[in-house]
Amino acid sequence: MGTTTDIPEITSSFTEYAIFIVLLPMLAFPVILFLGRLFNGNETWVKSAKEGGLIALPIMVASFILSLILIVEFIGSGTGSHHIGDWLSFGWIGADGMTIEEKVFGVGIYIDHVTVMLLFVASFLCMLINIFSIGYMNTDPINDNRNHRFYAEFVLFCSGMLGMVLADSFLWLFIFWELMGLCSYLLIGFYYERPSAAYAAKKAFLTTRVGDVFLVIGLVMLWNMFGSLDYSVVFNPDNIAAVDSGELQMALGMMFIGAVGKSAQFPLHVWLPDAMEGPTPVSALIHAATMVNAGLYLVARMFPFFGAPSMAGELVDLAFIIAAIGGITAVMAAAIAFVQDDLKKVLAYSTMSQLAYIFTGLGAALWLANTPGMEEYAIIAFGAALFHLFNHAMAKGMLFMASGSVIHEMHHAHHDLHHHDDHGDDHGEDHHDDHHDEFDAQSMSNMGGLASKMPITATAMLVGSASIMGLPLIGGFWSKEGIIANTWRVAREEPLFWFPAFCVLLGAAMTGFYMSRMWLKTFAGKPKTEVAENVHENTPWIPIPLVTLTFVSLSSVILAGMMFTHWSSDSGYAFFSDKGLADGLIYEFEHIFLNSDAFFFVLTYVVIFIGAIVGPGLAMALYGGALKEGEKAKGWMQPIINLSARVNEKRGFDNSAWADSGLSVALKERLYFDKWYDTAMLKLVAGFAVLSATFDRKVIDGTIKTIERSSQKISLSVRKLTTGSARDYIMMAALGVLVIYAMLEVMI
Amino acid sequence: MDANTFDMDLLQTLGPELTVFVGLLLIMIIPNLGNGKFRIPGTQIELPWFLGGTRYKAVSSPRLPGLLAVLTMSLALIQVLWYLLETNADGSRANAVANVISSENGYEIFSVNLFSRIFEAIFFAALLLAALASLDRLPTGSVKSNDIDVLFNNRRQADFYILMLTSALGMSVVALAQDMFVLFIGLELASFSTYVLVAFHKETRAGSEGGAKYFIVGSVASAVGLYGLSMLYLWAGSLQFDVLAAKWATDGASSLSMMALGFVLVGFAFKISAAPFHFAAPDAYSGANSPVAGVLATASKAMGMLGLMRVLLLITVPDSAAEDESAVWIGLLGVMAAVTMTWGNIAALGSENPKRMLAYSSVAHAGYMLAALTAIGAWNWGLVDTGGDAKDIVVAALLFHMFVLVFFKLGAFLVLGLLEMEGGASRLSSLSGLGKREPLLAVAMFLFMISLAGVPPMAGFLSKLLVIMGIVEVATGSGSLDSLMDAHWVWWLALLMVLNSAISMFYYLRVGVVMYFHEPEEGREGPLASGVSIRLAIAVCAIGTVAFGLVGGELIELCRDATQYLG
Repeated sequence: MGTTTDIPEITSSFTEYAIFIVLLPMLAFPVILFLGRLFNGNETWVKSAKEGGLIALPIMVASFILSLILIVEFIGSGTGSHHIGDWLSFGWIGADGMTIEEKVFGVGIYIDHVTVMLLFVASFLCMLINIFSIGYMNTDPINDNRNHRFYAEFVLFCSGMLGMVLADSFLWLFIFWELMGLCSYLLIGFYYERPSAAYAAKKAFLTTRVGDVFLVIGLVMLWNMFGSLDYSVVFNPDNIAAVDSGELQMALGMMFIGAVGKSAQFPLHVWLPDAMEGPTPVSALIHAATMVNAGLYLVARMFPFFGAPSMAGELVDLAFIIAAIGGITAVMAAAIAFVQDDLKKVLAYSTMSQLAYIFTGLGAALWLANTPGMEEYAIIAFGAALFHLFNHAMAKGMLFMASGSVIHEMHHAHHDLHHHDDHGDDHGEDHHDDHHDEFDAQSMSNMGGLASKMPITATAMLVGSASIMGLPLIGGFWSKEGIIANTWRVAREEPLFWFPAFCVLLGAAMTGFYMSRMWLKTFAGKPKTEVAENVHENTPWIPIPLVTLTFVSLSSVILAGMMFTHWSSDSGYAFFSDKGLADGLIYEFEHIFLNSDAFFFVLTYVVIFIGAIVGPGLAMALYGGALKEGEKAKGWMQPIINLSARVNEKRGFDNSAWADSGLSVALKERLYFDKWYDTAMLKLVAGFAVLSATFDRKVIDGTIKTIERSSQKISLSVRKLTTGSARDYIMMAALGVLVIYAMLEVMI
Repeated sequence: MDANTFDMDLLQTLGPELTVFVGLLLIMIIPNLGNGKFRIPGTQIELPWFLGGTRYKAVSSPRLPGLLAVLTMSLALIQVLWYLLETNADGSRANAVANVISSENGYEIFSVNLFSRIFEAIFFAALLLAALASLDRLPTGSVKSNDIDVLFNNRRQADFYILMLTSALGMSVVALAQDMFVLFIGLELASFSTYVLVAFHKETRAGSEGGAKYFIVGSVASAVGLYGLSMLYLWAGSLQFDVLAAKWATDGASSLSMMALGFVLVGFAFKISAAPFHFAAPDAYSGANSPVAGVLATASKAMGMLGLMRVLLLITVPDSAAEDESAVWIGLLGVMAAVTMTWGNIAALGSENPKRMLAYSSVAHAGYMLAALTAIGAWNWGLVDTGGDAKDIVVAALLFHMFVLVFFKLGAFLVLGLLEMEGGASRLSSLSGLGKREPLLAVAMFLFMISLAGVPPMAGFLSKLLVIMGIVEVATGSGSLDSLMDAHWVWWLALLMVLNSAISMFYYLRVGVVMYFHEPEEGREGPLASGVSIRLAIAVCAIGTVAFGLVGGELIELCRDATQYLG
C-alpha cells in the first residue's frame, strides 16, 4: 500500500560501498572470535595482535573513514535525504499459491542529516574506544586470554549501532536494535564469574526487553497502518494523511516506550547504573557511542510524522509525554547522582540526566513541529537536541574513558603497593576479587588530589565536565542553552510544558553541582588513601582518545558557528550555505547572549548563573581543597583548584544534616525503584511463574504424556499387523481388494 | 512421428532413454572385455573376439561399473533437464509441443512432453544420487568382514548397476507411455529390477527375506492389476489412453470398467505403498541397503503415482452422464488416503528402527499424495463448483512435492547408508551422538527431518503447503462459503493432513533429539567412515532441500506448465 516518496538516489561511486560501514565490523566478529579460539594464549597473538584489538582497530578505522567519505559526499550533494536502493530483496508465494510476490523487505540504506550526524558520532567514538580498550583491557590481569571475546562482541556492537543508523526501514532498525541489546548483555556480563556482573547483564537485558515488547507492538501497528515499515513509505506525507491520527499517536507512543527502555529513562532506567559492572570501555560504548543514543535516534526518526501537515495539532499529547518523561528523569537522575560515591555511577546518572535533556528537547521540537506556525522553531529545537546528543556523546565518551584511566591506574597503583606484602603469589580471578573486597578502585572516597598525578586525564575530565555542565562557550553549552530556551518557548504557548521547562532549568543547576563534586572529589584536595598517592599515568594507548576528544569538545564552538543546529535538523539547509564561519559565530553569539526577546535574554543569564556559578559554587564549598604540599597541577587546572580551596575555606558549611536525612538515604537507595521492581517481580511475576510452572507440569505435560503413551500403544498395535509373514501381507492385500470390490459393487 | 524409422529425429527425441540403454549395454560388455578367443570349429584358427578369457586389467576394476552407471545417469539427467529448461529467445519454453511417437497403424506408444519429462527428471535424479552414493556403499577395497568379500568382484558390482539402469529404463517407459500395456511393461521392468535390488545383499538374512516378501506381495499386486487391465481391454477393445478416454466419455462408467479400474488401482497402490498394500514396504526398506530403499521411497513411488494420475486423470475425464457413478471412485480414493496417511504416521510413531520409521513415513506421504489426487478427481468430475485452475494448482503441487521429496527422503536414507557402512543403522540409537561425531552430517539429517515434517523454510514445507492450499482451494471454491459444511468433503482430507503432520513431528524430531542429546553408543564415538561420493550425494540433497524451499519459484512454474500435458 501507499506511494513511495521520490527520494533522490546518490549516484556517487563511494556511497555504493556505504554498506561496508556495517558489514566490515559484522564480518570481523566471527574472524576475531575464531582467531582468538585458535591462538588463545599464543604470544604473538597477545603481544602483536593485542588479542584481537589490533584486528578490530583497522576495521573500526576503515568504518570511520568510509563514514567520513559518506558524510563528505552527503554534504557535497546538497540537501535532502537520500536512499540507496535495495541490494537484496526476497519474494514469497502469493495468496493464490502460485505467483511469486516481489519484495517483502529489502536491504538498503537511508541517509539524511540525522543519519549523518549519528553516523559520525558512532563510528568516531567506536574507533576511539577501540584504541582506549587496547590500553585498558589488555593490561588487566583478570582478562587473561579472553580479550578476543571482548573485541569480537565489541565490533558486533558497533556494527549494530552503525547498521541501525543506516537502516532504511523501521524493520531493519529494530533488527540492529536487538543486535545491540544482545551485545550489551554479553558485554555488561563480560566478567560473568562475578555474580553482580551476571545480575547486571540480566537486568539490562530484561529491562530493555520490556521496552522492546512495546516497540514491537508499535511497529506492528505502524505496519498495519502503512503496509510497510520502509521510511520511504511511512514518511510520505500522502500516506500519513491517509491514516488515523489517534492510531498513529498510539503506535508512536508504543515505540517511544521502546526508546525509554533503551535510553534508560524513567521508569525503565534501573538497568543503566548496574551496567557499570561491565568493563569501562563498555560503559563508554554504551553511554556515549551507541546504545543509549539508539532510543534518541528512534524518537528523532519520528520527526516526519509530527511535521506532516495532516497531523497538525494531533500528536501534541505524545510530544508532551516525551518532554515530561525527559523532565522527570533529568531531575531524578541528577538528584541520585548527588550521593553516589562510585566514580562511574556518577557518570551513569549523569548520562541518564543528559539523555533526559535531549528527550525534553525532542519533545519540545516535536510539539513545535506539530503546531502550525511554529515550524521554524521546531527546526531549531530539533537541531539543539541533536547537537546536545553530539556534545554529550563526545563529552561522555571522554569522561568514561578518563574515569577508566583513573580506575585503571588506581588498580595498578594498588597492585604495585600490595604486590610485595600479602598477595605476592596468587594471580587470576581470586586475586582480582580480593582486591575488590578490600579496596574499591572506583570509589571517589579513595581518590583525591589526582590532578597533579594524572594531568591528561584530569584535563579531559575537566573539559568533559564543563561540557556536560554547559559552562559558557564549551561543548554542551551551545546545545543545552537551545534545549532550555525552546522548552520555555513551548511553555509560553502551552501551560503543560511549564513542568518539563522547570525541570530542565533545575537540572542545569544540579548538573553543575554533581559534575563539579565529582571532579573535585577525584582530582582536587589531598589524596585520601595511600594508593591515590602512588597513581601515575603510564599506559600508552589511553591518552590518545582523551586528547582527541578534549579538542573535539573544545571546538564545539566552531560547530556552533557552522550552524550545526540548523544543518543537523533542517533538510533544506546546506552546510555553510547561509553564512561563513565568522558570520555564523557572530549570529550565534548574538542569539545567545544578546537575544532581542527580553524573556530569552533573561533566561540565558539565569541558566548560566545557576549552571555555571551556583552549582559549582556549592560543590566547591563542600568538596573543594588544595592539593598536597609541593604538588602542582597544570596551569589551567591550578586556578580552579585554588579557587575551590578558597571557597571551601570561606564558605564551607556542614551538610551532615542533609547527608543523614531521609532524602539522602532514599537517593542512595536510588529512590527505591530497584526494590519496588524486585518486590513486584517476586510477588507478582514469580508467583505467577510458579503457578504456570505447576500448571505446565501437571496439566499440559500430563496431557501430552498421556497422549504420547496412548499413541505409542496404538502404534504398537498397528505395527503388530505387520507380522513379518508374506502370507499375512497377501491376505491383507486380498482383504483390501475385497473392500474395493465391495465398495464399487455397493455404490454403483 | 513413426516409430519404425530409426532416423535422427527419433534419436533426438528419445535421447535420454537411449542414453540409458547404451549405458546399460556398456556396463554389460565392458567389464567382460578380455583376451577371449574363438576357435573356428575343426580348425586350429583362433579368432580374437575380446569377450571372456583373461580380462584386461583396465576393465576389471571393481569401480568401473559404478562409474559407468553414474556417467550414464548424469548424461541422461542433463538431457532431461535441458529439455525442461530450454527456452526460446523470447523466454518461452522451447519444448512446448508434445512429441508423440506412434506405430505404423497409428497407435500412440510414447509421448514426450514436459509432464513426462518432469517425471523422468525425478527418476533419473533419484537413481543418479543412489548410484553415486553406492560407489562407496558397496565396498570395493579391502574390508575385514568376510561375508561381503564377494562384493569386491566387479561382476557383482556390474549386476547391481545394471539393475539400477534397467529400473531407470523401466521408469522412463512408464513416464512416456501412451498405452496401458506399454505402461505396464515399463512398470514391471522397473519393479523386477527393484525386487532384485532389495535382495541384493543376499548374504544378509534381512536382505533376502525383505526382497522375497517384496517380490511375493508385489507379484500379487501386479497380477491383480493385470487382471484389471484385461477387463479394461475387454470393455474397450484397446488399452490406448485416448481410446479408453473416448470410450469413457461416450459410454460412461459401466460396472465392468469400474471394476477394472478398481483392480488397476490395486496394482499402483502397491507401488506407492498405500494401505493396505504397504505391508511389505517396511520389510523391504529395512532389508535393502539404504540407497536402494531411498529409490523405493522416491522414484518408485513417483512411478506409481504417475500411473494413478494417468488412469484417473487421463482416462476418466469428466462426463456429466457418468457423474454420479464415478463419484464412487473419489470416495474410494478419499478413504484410502485417509487410512494410509493415518496408518503410516501412527505406525511410525513407535518405530525404533529408523529405516522402518522412514518407510512408514513414506506410507504417510503416499496418503498425502492420494489426498491431493482425490481433490483433483473431485474437481475433474465436476463435483466441485470451482472455476479457474484449481485442479492445475493441485497437480503442480503434487509434481513439486514428488520432485523435492527426492532430496530429503533420499537424503535421509543416504545418511543412514553412511551409518550402515560403519555397522548398521537398524536401531534409533545408531544415530545417537551424531551431532558430536559428525556435526555437518547431523545438520543435514536434521534438515531432512524437518523438511519431511514440513517446517519452513524447507522444501518439504513449501510442497506440503502447496498441496494443502490446493486441496482447500478445490474444496472451498472461488465463491465464499457460509459454513464449512458447504465445502466439499475433500476439505476434511486437508484437515487430516494438517493433523497428521502434527503427529509426524513427534518421530521426525525424535531423530534430532537422539542425534543431539544422546551419548554415542559404545564403540561408535569417532567420526564415520569417509565416503566422498556418498557425502557428496548427501550434500546435494541438503542443498536441494533448502534451496527449493527458499527459491522454488522456477520449479513451481515448470510444474505448472507441465500440467497442461496431462489430458
